[in-house]
Amino acid sequence: MEGQPKPRPSRSKLFYIPGAESFTRMDPWWGLVVLVVGLAVTLVTVKADPFLRILLFVRDGVAVTAFITVSAFMFTLVLGMIGGLGRLSRNWVIHGVATLYVEIVRGIPLLVQLIWWYFAFPVVIQGIGRWLNFTAMANYQSNAIFTAVTGLTICYGAYMSEIYRAGIQSIPKGQGEAARSLGMTHFQSMRHVVLPQAVRVVLPPVGNEFIALLKDSCLVSVVAVADLTRRGREFMAVHFNPIEVWTMVALLYLVMTLFLARLVSWVEKKTHFER
Amino acid sequence: MEPIIHIENVHKHFGRIHALRGVSLDVHKGEVVVIIGPSGSGKSTLLRCINRLEEYDAGRIVVDGIPLDSAQNISAVRREIGMVFQSFNLFAHLTAMENLTLAQRVVRKRSRGESEKIALELLEKVGIPDKAGAYPIQLSGGQQQRVAIARALAMNPKIMLFDEPTSALDPEMIKEVLDVMLALASEGMTMVVVSHEMGFARAAAKRIILIDEGQIIEEAAPEKLFASSHERTRQFLSKVLHM
Repeated sequence: MEGQPKPRPSRSKLFYIPGAESFTRMDPWWGLVVLVVGLAVTLVTVKADPFLRILLFVRDGVAVTAFITVSAFMFTLVLGMIGGLGRLSRNWVIHGVATLYVEIVRGIPLLVQLIWWYFAFPVVIQGIGRWLNFTAMANYQSNAIFTAVTGLTICYGAYMSEIYRAGIQSIPKGQGEAARSLGMTHFQSMRHVVLPQAVRVVLPPVGNEFIALLKDSCLVSVVAVADLTRRGREFMAVHFNPIEVWTMVALLYLVMTLFLARLVSWVEKKTHFER
Repeated sequence: MEPIIHIENVHKHFGRIHALRGVSLDVHKGEVVVIIGPSGSGKSTLLRCINRLEEYDAGRIVVDGIPLDSAQNISAVRREIGMVFQSFNLFAHLTAMENLTLAQRVVRKRSRGESEKIALELLEKVGIPDKAGAYPIQLSGGQQQRVAIARALAMNPKIMLFDEPTSALDPEMIKEVLDVMLALASEGMTMVVVSHEMGFARAAAKRIILIDEGQIIEEAAPEKLFASSHERTRQFLSKVLHM
């Protein structure tokens, strides 16, 4: 029946070509991804020593970086949603806790936070464990990967809270009012009307955070996580060839971030709607 | 007969502004009441108090025998009251059809098939069944407002509130919305309308209520009000009637 959505009008009628709407057309910036990948491949094949050796040495670091980034990002999406809704809560306790969290976390450098979670937090837990005579806690040791993921999640969750809050606030008040005037509860109006629109508004900044998170994940190398950066440093410590190592590491980060940027922009176009 | 809307001595403050100063008003079933008044007089605020989109500070409002005093009662009352806004407020991420079916399914718990059937009938009634698949951005203002009216009607309300429904429309679109409202009035719908469309008031209203500075200045049948000798009423009418 008529329920089929019609193709939505593109921004500019002037350059309108049927079938070439912005959301179906190939994004030309994929070319940059291809270029950078090509550069990396060229280096590896033309000058296999040391570039191929570096690549083989750091590849498990690439996997660790990808794993930490993706899992921290997933948790961040959830934590940010909770934090954002908390910041908008009319309950002053919830609002207070959410605001305190955001203010404290974004006021401390991420590197310091990671070091604190890895080196200071276990000591606190051990102390409490000894005080309670609870052996499991008294013998608590940091797990590097776990610390890295939670540390990144807590920090980026605060940034994400602010993005969600702004996104929800950007939806005109009339949308929620219309929903409530139809008898929807506050929760239903959030769930069916406000959040679906807010999510699309926040996609660009959320995508931006994803890329920033990937880059900031290199800080976990100081807490004994064998990520890409740390593996690069290990290779250099043995062979002492900074130019080749850090060029290769930089290229690998660039391939990942450029690829992510394309992915984000693709998702944005897929979910775009005009209001 | 028990009035379907009973408003008793309602007060409302916005910070230091005293927006409603003891307004009392009864609306009976099937009545069409038009509220007029200068901007900032409190007419929209009064309307929004009826379905509690606006909280009031003192007084009592009872809708269809239910006092607006608990969250549960407020939800119950909102289900019986449809509201049409000046800025349409169609859900921007949904098609016209989905705008009409969402609350039916979420609030009234109707099936998809049933709610779509009702939605199509109502789109037919407001004259735009061919726009079922269109998004709000693709509709003209008049079409959006008609979809908004249909969306409210889909919930089978006993009362319809209209908050300046034609103020944001181009002149040639005002008529298509007013026609829908007139048809609704002739079917016996209880309507409270904030509007300066005097043609509509003359044709459909049983009473016109003039509000100024948060108080009811005068209420009377249209012809009587237009001939009023009240100083403030004459002053205001001369502006909206261009006399």
